[in-house]
Amino acid sequence: MRCFTLLFFTALLPAQNVQTATLANGMKVIIQEDHNIPSVAMYFVYKIGSRNERPGITGISHFFEHMMFNGAKKYGPKQFDNEMEKAGGNNNAYTSNDVTVYTDWFPSAALELMFDMESDRIRDLSLDPKMVASERGVVYSERRSSVDNNNFGILQEQLEAAAFIAHPYHWPVVGWPSDIEAWTQQDLKDYFAIGYAPNNCVMVVVGDVTVARVMDLAKKYIEPIPRHDPPPPVRTKEPEQLGERRIVVKKAAQLPIQMIAYHVPEAKNPDAIVLDLVSTVLSTGQSSRLYKRMIDEEPLALSVSGRAGDALDPTLMIFTIQPRNGVDPARTEKVLYEELERLQTTEISARELQKAKNQLLTRRYNQLKTIAGRANLLGISEVMLGDYMKTFTIDKDYQAVTAADIQRVAKKYFTEKNRTVATLIPEGAGK
Amino acid sequence: MKTLLVLLAAASLAFGQAKLPQYTKETLPNGTVVAMMPRSGVPLVYFRVLIKGGVESDPADKAGLANVAASLLRRGTATRSAEKFAEELDFLGGTFNAAFDGQLGSATAISSEFLSKDFDQGLELLADAVLHPAFTESEVKKELARRIDGAKAMKDNPQLSIGSYFRAAFFGRDHPYGHPADETSYSRIDRETIAAYHRNFYCGSNMLIVVTGDFDPNSAKAKLSQVFGAAPAGAAYAWRTAPPLARKGQMLLIDKPDATQTYFQIAQPGIDNRNPDRTTLEIVNTLFGGRFTSMLNDELRVNSGLTYGANSQLQQDRLPGAIVIGTYTKNDTTAQAIDMALDVLKRLNEKGITAQQLASAKAYVKGLYPTRRLETMDQLAALIGEIELYGLGRDEVDGYFGRIDAITLDQANATIKKYYQTGNLTFVVLGAADKIREQVKKYDPHPAEVSIKTAGWGDR
Repeated sequence: MRCFTLLFFTALLPAQNVQTATLANGMKVIIQEDHNIPSVAMYFVYKIGSRNERPGITGISHFFEHMMFNGAKKYGPKQFDNEMEKAGGNNNAYTSNDVTVYTDWFPSAALELMFDMESDRIRDLSLDPKMVASERGVVYSERRSSVDNNNFGILQEQLEAAAFIAHPYHWPVVGWPSDIEAWTQQDLKDYFAIGYAPNNCVMVVVGDVTVARVMDLAKKYIEPIPRHDPPPPVRTKEPEQLGERRIVVKKAAQLPIQMIAYHVPEAKNPDAIVLDLVSTVLSTGQSSRLYKRMIDEEPLALSVSGRAGDALDPTLMIFTIQPRNGVDPARTEKVLYEELERLQTTEISARELQKAKNQLLTRRYNQLKTIAGRANLLGISEVMLGDYMKTFTIDKDYQAVTAADIQRVAKKYFTEKNRTVATLIPEGAGK
Repeated sequence: MKTLLVLLAAASLAFGQAKLPQYTKETLPNGTVVAMMPRSGVPLVYFRVLIKGGVESDPADKAGLANVAASLLRRGTATRSAEKFAEELDFLGGTFNAAFDGQLGSATAISSEFLSKDFDQGLELLADAVLHPAFTESEVKKELARRIDGAKAMKDNPQLSIGSYFRAAFFGRDHPYGHPADETSYSRIDRETIAAYHRNFYCGSNMLIVVTGDFDPNSAKAKLSQVFGAAPAGAAYAWRTAPPLARKGQMLLIDKPDATQTYFQIAQPGIDNRNPDRTTLEIVNTLFGGRFTSMLNDELRVNSGLTYGANSQLQQDRLPGAIVIGTYTKNDTTAQAIDMALDVLKRLNEKGITAQQLASAKAYVKGLYPTRRLETMDQLAALIGEIELYGLGRDEVDGYFGRIDAITLDQANATIKKYYQTGNLTFVVLGAADKIREQVKKYDPHPAEVSIKTAGWGDR
């Protein structure tokens, strides 16, 4: 079954000409023609991430992100990268709690090659034990850089493990070290079978292409790949938190770090939009409340930010603070709570709310400047928000948020019972 | 809007050649150069103000001065408090960034972006910061204290801090690129030094303004002339010449006792951004360490799993930079990884590259060029800035694919022999010294060793 929807509309944001189709095997295709430069961004968003894992195989989604470049049936080890670079293209990939995304950028002349290579690895990935062994070393090195030798990384890992006791967001995307060392050939085979179904993927193509050509190639290369069962639904829901949790990480460091997290809802929940505005009011720009309090008016912190990312399941809004040399983290913690309380007790002014809306609007324009940025947003909006058009229309949702919404949401989520406080204390600092 | 985009594209990439879209350039009576490139598309306008000097104009004992001055531009002006400036900027959803420009920093760049409808207000804010900063005593003190803590915090991030150790070790303190700011240099900077720096450098003769994006060029020209034409003419910064390099053939070992992996860089002299060999070197360095399938990444990551990534950086700025091999690996494979990197270097030097490799690298560099440099208004403004600041001419873009196509295998291999030497290399190694000291002795029996806890970057 295939359906085309043609959308021309003159929203505030440039949503020209996005077309979609669904292949017979269930893969959704989103296409936007843009001939500004002779290049193409082609993204594959697989709905599989660390939330689909279980103890013993944590990190395996991310490991697959690596293995997908290590050879399939037609294109053997190294060939994906070799052929692509020879054709003037470049690629990358990323894994999150929820999705694994493959990102290809290339001259439009390489379009068919990319379809050939992508379909090859979706259908017939080879899991050569020798490549598996070597790639384990690579992933372990990545973990050492992003977690073990990165104080922000290690604190966030410990924070999430404390904030989630039941839901899979408990474990890190990169995986626990013992799992990285231990997953088996059979684990890998099983995981490939559930994760890499065409019906579990959204393909986005933006750039110097025609819709007709993309659909011809999709029919030729992707459509014959049979559909299979997608990952089983993630059943476990995080139970309500019953009281504040506090953890400490002791590590060699020049300065402490503090992360304070509150459970907040998934991206599809209407409150998520309000929380975007809340985080903007609190920490985007030098006029934001936390910047003013902690960096400008008093020398309390080197940096402060608060964000909740898009997520399929209820997630965390994490405030990250690096206290200044000699500042007790208890002090920055207290100031954060004062500012959160101010949001709860005093309605935000119309101008401050409009400022946050304007900041989010220009941020969105910035994300839409490149074909890569658009491809990513179209894919993520489709998967996380259930509608790729949110890429261009989310601005209207922001505009509809009121000062009362901000106050209500702040009261609902920023409670003592709902928070986890993680502090990295420099070793030997005597605390 | 869409139709116009298509027409422009047809003009800018005809016949598989990169072509820089047209822009206008004029010099105001006070010496300020204004370049404009109006382009339809996303309704944003992008401003880029370039001030010659950057870190190379920092006095060695007051390293960080140019960057401190840049950060303080928005922290209060003659007519606006820092708070008011921030509120107005954020209300427009505008951005404002000011820091050194380029790979090594021979200029300061102040870049600012606004919605097209806010062109006038945006320009007014930008110009107020660039031309009329107040540098109040309290803001100066806050900024310097914050940077001193920031220099400490940087030590907790090995990947970031090794860059500063590298500058000090490779270029040396007497070199314009060789004195990264530290706690001590910040403490020597005061309000009067900053104000004097601003008077001398932020003047018409030393300033270039590039505007790209969706705006009306006629009214923009009048407004830019009025606002920036009012700056005093002053004098252009006299570019410095580069003294000899510091520690050729030696090692700096930085001890971070808790590190579970070793970060290292291996460097040798490179080129400046006007060197006639630069296109050939870019192609060669792409093969050596500039892409995923490069010789370095292939050996150290793909074949051996020793690291998450290995690369070679070809630094190019107004003065010659370095060619730097960089990677990291767990403590006990430190020497194995360094040996492997040196082997790859030796193989490149001795065997050169093949015709197939050359063809692949040419296609790769050309294929990615549009997304790397020609796609967005900030990329185009950066290109125009380089062309105008360093006198490169628009052939820098228009002739680029032609220059790549013209490179022969013999030229490429001769360029390799000339630049990729296997001796006299500078090593910067950051890790747990007790665990790696014996391993790395063979590269330099008497390395300079410094604790990461010591203030500064191992050069005092």
